[in-house]
Amino acid sequence: MPGEYLLEVRSEEIPARMLEPGMRELATRLFEELMARGMAPREVATGFTPRRLTLVLSGLPEREPDREEQVMGPPVRAAYAADGAPTPALTGFAKRCGVAPEALRRVATDKGEYLAAVRKTAGRPAGEVLAELVPRALAGISWAKTMRWGSGDGPWVRPVHGLVSLLDGAVVPFSLFGVAAGDTTAGHPILSPAPFAVADAAGYRRELGSRDIEVRPGERRRLLAETMRQRAAALGGRLVDDPPLLDKLAAICEIPGVLEGRFDDAFLELPAEVLSTSLRDHQSALTVEDPAGARLLPYFLTVMDRPDDPQGRARSGNEWVVAARLADARFFYGEDRKAGLARRVEQLERLAFHERLGSYAEKSARLAALAGAICDALGWAAERGDAVAAARLLKVDLATEMVKEFTSLQGVMGGIYAREEGQPEAVWQAVYDQYLPASTEDRIPRGRVGRVAGLADRLDTLAGIFGLGLTPTGSKDPFGLRRAAQGAVRIALEGELALDLEAMAKVAATLYGDRLTRGVAQILDDLRPFLHDRLRYLLGLAGYAYDEIEAALAVGVRDLPDLKARVDALHRMREAPGFLTVVLAAKRIANIVKDAAEQPLDPALLAEPAEKDLYTAFAGLRHEVEEAAATADYGRCLRRIADLAPVLDRFFVEVLVMAEDPAVRQNRLALLQAIGRTVSRTARLTEMVVDKAEARAKSGG
Amino acid sequence: MQTLQDMILRLSAFWAAEGCVLQQPLDLEVGAGTMHPDTFLRVLGPEPWRVAYVQPSRRPADGRYGDNPFRLGKHLQFQVVLKPSPHDVQQLYVQSLAAIGLHLADHDLRFEEDNWEAPTLGAWGVGWQVMLDGMEITQFTYFQQAGGLELKPISAEITYGLERLTMFLAQSRSLYDIEWVEGVKYGQVRKQEEYELSRYYFEVADVPFLQQQLDGMEREAGRCLAAGLVLPAYECALKCSHLFNVLDARGAVSVTERVGLMKRVRDLAVACARAYVESRERLGFPLLGAGAVAGVSGAAEEVPGHAR
Repeated sequence: MPGEYLLEVRSEEIPARMLEPGMRELATRLFEELMARGMAPREVATGFTPRRLTLVLSGLPEREPDREEQVMGPPVRAAYAADGAPTPALTGFAKRCGVAPEALRRVATDKGEYLAAVRKTAGRPAGEVLAELVPRALAGISWAKTMRWGSGDGPWVRPVHGLVSLLDGAVVPFSLFGVAAGDTTAGHPILSPAPFAVADAAGYRRELGSRDIEVRPGERRRLLAETMRQRAAALGGRLVDDPPLLDKLAAICEIPGVLEGRFDDAFLELPAEVLSTSLRDHQSALTVEDPAGARLLPYFLTVMDRPDDPQGRARSGNEWVVAARLADARFFYGEDRKAGLARRVEQLERLAFHERLGSYAEKSARLAALAGAICDALGWAAERGDAVAAARLLKVDLATEMVKEFTSLQGVMGGIYAREEGQPEAVWQAVYDQYLPASTEDRIPRGRVGRVAGLADRLDTLAGIFGLGLTPTGSKDPFGLRRAAQGAVRIALEGELALDLEAMAKVAATLYGDRLTRGVAQILDDLRPFLHDRLRYLLGLAGYAYDEIEAALAVGVRDLPDLKARVDALHRMREAPGFLTVVLAAKRIANIVKDAAEQPLDPALLAEPAEKDLYTAFAGLRHEVEEAAATADYGRCLRRIADLAPVLDRFFVEVLVMAEDPAVRQNRLALLQAIGRTVSRTARLTEMVVDKAEARAKSGG
Repeated sequence: MQTLQDMILRLSAFWAAEGCVLQQPLDLEVGAGTMHPDTFLRVLGPEPWRVAYVQPSRRPADGRYGDNPFRLGKHLQFQVVLKPSPHDVQQLYVQSLAAIGLHLADHDLRFEEDNWEAPTLGAWGVGWQVMLDGMEITQFTYFQQAGGLELKPISAEITYGLERLTMFLAQSRSLYDIEWVEGVKYGQVRKQEEYELSRYYFEVADVPFLQQQLDGMEREAGRCLAAGLVLPAYECALKCSHLFNVLDARGAVSVTERVGLMKRVRDLAVACARAYVESRERLGFPLLGAGAVAGVSGAAEEVPGHAR
C-alpha cells in the first residue's frame, strides 16, 4: 500500500521508564507536524524495545498540498502616482514577490484598500518533508535524562547506532548524531547480530519475528503474562499478578522469554511479603501462589531476553542470585526477631525524621499524643488504648534490618513483627496499613485504629514541614506532602471520621513545642488551602461538579464526611424543580443585601401580600430547615428551601425592596438577609454556576 | 574452573590489546577505582586516554569481619576508562566477557538503567548495571561531569566487580571459597585482613586522631594547591575521603556533620579538578598529539563488524 513510512532508531539500551513516554512524544510530535502541513497519515503505529524505537505511518499523502498565500503590499493610495502610473512602491513590491504588476489584486482592509500579491508554493513530496521533520522530532524528544557520548555527541537518551527510514521502500535520507539513515537494521546483539536490509513495515516485522524479536510492548507483555500463567498452572499454582512489574519486564526485553526458577522450600518460612518484595525488588520476578491463594510456592518467574534456555545457564544464574538474596533476607528476619520491636524503640533516637524536626523517637511520642487526641475528639474511647499503642510502634520498623534493606516494606514489616509478637489485631494491622493509601488505587487502612494512626502520622508530618515554612511549590515536593495530605483527606472522608481536621492539625503543630519556626495560626493558614485543594481534587474525582464543591466549602468545613454530605445533597438537588429559582434568588438576594448592614426584622411592618406570603412561607419552613441541617439531612434541607421558589418568584415580581420609606426598605432587607442565611445553611448557593440560557428562560418566564 | 587471577590476566590482556595503558592500583586507600587519578583526573579536559587497572576498593562500613559470604570491606575492581568513548564501546565490553570465557549465546545479558553519582567528587554519569543471568556483574557509565566540570570528550567507564564475577561464574556459595589461583582460596589470602580491618574500622580506630588527621589533610591539600601541586593535593583529598569513610563506619559522624564533611571533601575534589585542567593546559595538553597513547587516535569511529 503506498504512503507507508517506516522509521526505526536503534540505540544502546534506553531506560525502561523512559521508553513509553519518549515513543509517545515522538509519534505525537510527528503526527502534529504532518497534520499542520496537511499531510496527516491515516494511521500511526508505534513499537519499542530497549534497543529500538519503531514508528510506522500509513496512508501518507504523496505530497504536501500546494499553498497559496496572500502577501500584503502598499496601500492603493501610495501605489499610483497622480497620473495613474505605478509608483516605485508598487513596482518594487511586485518585483519582490516575483509577479507582474498587473497580477496584483486589491484588498479592502479596515485601514483602507491595499495591494496584495498571491504567492503560490508547490507542495513538496512526502519524502522531502519527512527528511526535514523526522530528525528534528527525534532530536527534540524531551527524555527524562539525557547524556552525551564520544567527542560530545548528543544530547540524547543513549548513543544512536542505526536508523531505518523508508518511504514506500525508498530511503528517506537524514542523519542524526553522525549516523546516516538507510534500510539496514540488525537483530538481537548477541543472538542475531548480523545486519539485514528491510523493504517495508511488513517485511521488517517478519524479519524481526524470525529472530524472535517483538517490537510491540503490549504484545510482549501479553505473551509474558500468558506464558507465566501457563507456567504457574503447570507448577500447580497460579501467578501472583503484578501489573507494574509486568510493564517493566515487557520494557526490558525485545524477546519476551519467560525464565522460571525455583528456590529452596526452607525459604518459605519467610513471610510472603518479604519473599515477594525480595524477588520483585532484586530480581524483578513474580511469585506463584497455591490455587487457594493461601501461601507462596517456591518458584519465581521473570523475563530473559532470549526465547529459551537450553543450557539452563540463565536459570541457574538467577536461582543462585535468588538464593543469596533470600539468605540475606532470612538473616535479617532472624536478627530482627531476636531483638524484638520494643528494644528497637530506643534506636529511633538515632534515626532523624528531619534534621530540624528531631528523631523518630520524638515523632513516636508526638504520634501517641496525637492519636489519643483524635480518639478523644471522635469520642472513640474503646479504640483509644490500641490507637496510642499502635502510634508508639508505628515507626519502630525503620530501625529493623529488613526495612533498611527493603525500604518498600516499611509499615508492612513492622506489622508482621507486631503480629508475631502477639500484639492485638487492631494494633498490628494499624502498623501494617500505616502508609495506605499510597496511591489513588490503594484502599485506606482497615479499621478505626489504623485510620487514627494513619491520620496522626500524616498530620504530624504536614504540621512539622509546614511549620518550618517548607511548603511545596510547583513540582517540588521532596517530603511527599501532597500525598500525605491526600491520604489524610481520604482517610477522613472514606473512613467517616467526623473530625475537625484543622483542630487536629493545630494539636499536631502544638506538639512540636518550640521546634517549629512559624506560629500555629500561620501554619494553619497555609495548610487549610493545601488540604482544601486535595479535597477538591478527590471530590472532583468522585464525580462532583466544581461549583457544588465550592458552594459547600464556602460555608466552612466542620468535618469532611459532613462536607461530603453537603456536596452530595447539592449534586442531587440541582436538577430538582424549584432549585434553580432558589439559586437565582440567592444570587439576587446577595446582590441586594451586599452593602446593607444587618437589619432587625419586624413582621408587623410587612404590608404587601407578596412579602407577607414570603414571610409566612419562610417562617413555616425555617424551623424545619434548621432541624434538617442540625441532623445533617442536607437533602431535606435543600428540598424545603426549594419549596420557597414560588413565593420568592412572586416577591421579586410584586415587591420593590428599595422602597422610599427607609423603615419599609430596612425591614425588607432584613427579611431577605434572614432568608439568605437560611438558604445558605447547607451551601453558599451563590457559588452555583447557572446556565445562562436556562437562567434567562427562567427570569423571562 | 575460572580463578580470580585468570580473570585479572584475561581482562588485562584484552584491554591492553585495545590500547589501554595497563596502570597499577593507586597506592592509597580509595572507595572505588573511579577515584584513582588516572580515572578521576584523566577524564577531565580534551586529552584522549585509555587505561585499565585493578583497584582494591575500601568500603569500611561494608566490612563483616569475614563472616558474610557476600560482603567485603575491601574488594577488587577491574577498572577501564576509554576517552573518548568509542562508538563500539558496548560491543568491546561484550567481547571482553567472551575473553574471560563466557559463551554469551548461552546466557541472558541485559543492560538496566543505573546512573552513577558521586557527590563527594562532584561527579555523575549515565549508564547501566550490566546483568548476567540476573546478577549484576558490571557498572557501565558514560561520565558526564567530574569535579563539577562538564566533560568533553565523554569517557566510558567500565567497572567489573572481580570477586562477584568470579564467584558467580563458579556458582560458589561464598566469596571466600573462590580460587585466587588453583589451590589457593580467596579466603586463605584475605580473610584475616577482612576480620582485622573490620575490627579496626568498627571498634579500634581512634576517633579524635582520625578527626585531627582529616583536618590536617584538608589543610595540606590547600597548601599543595597554593604551591601549584595538583596531584599531591588530590592525594590529600583522597586521604580525607577515606578518613571520612572510616569515621562514618566508626559511627562518629552525625547526620548534620555528615553534610558538612561531604561538602569539605567535595570542595577539595572540585578545586583539584579545576587546578588539574589548568595544569594540563599549561603543559599544552601533552596527550592531544596523535599516538601519544597506544591505540588512541582521538576519533570515535565504528569498527565495522567488530563484535559480530
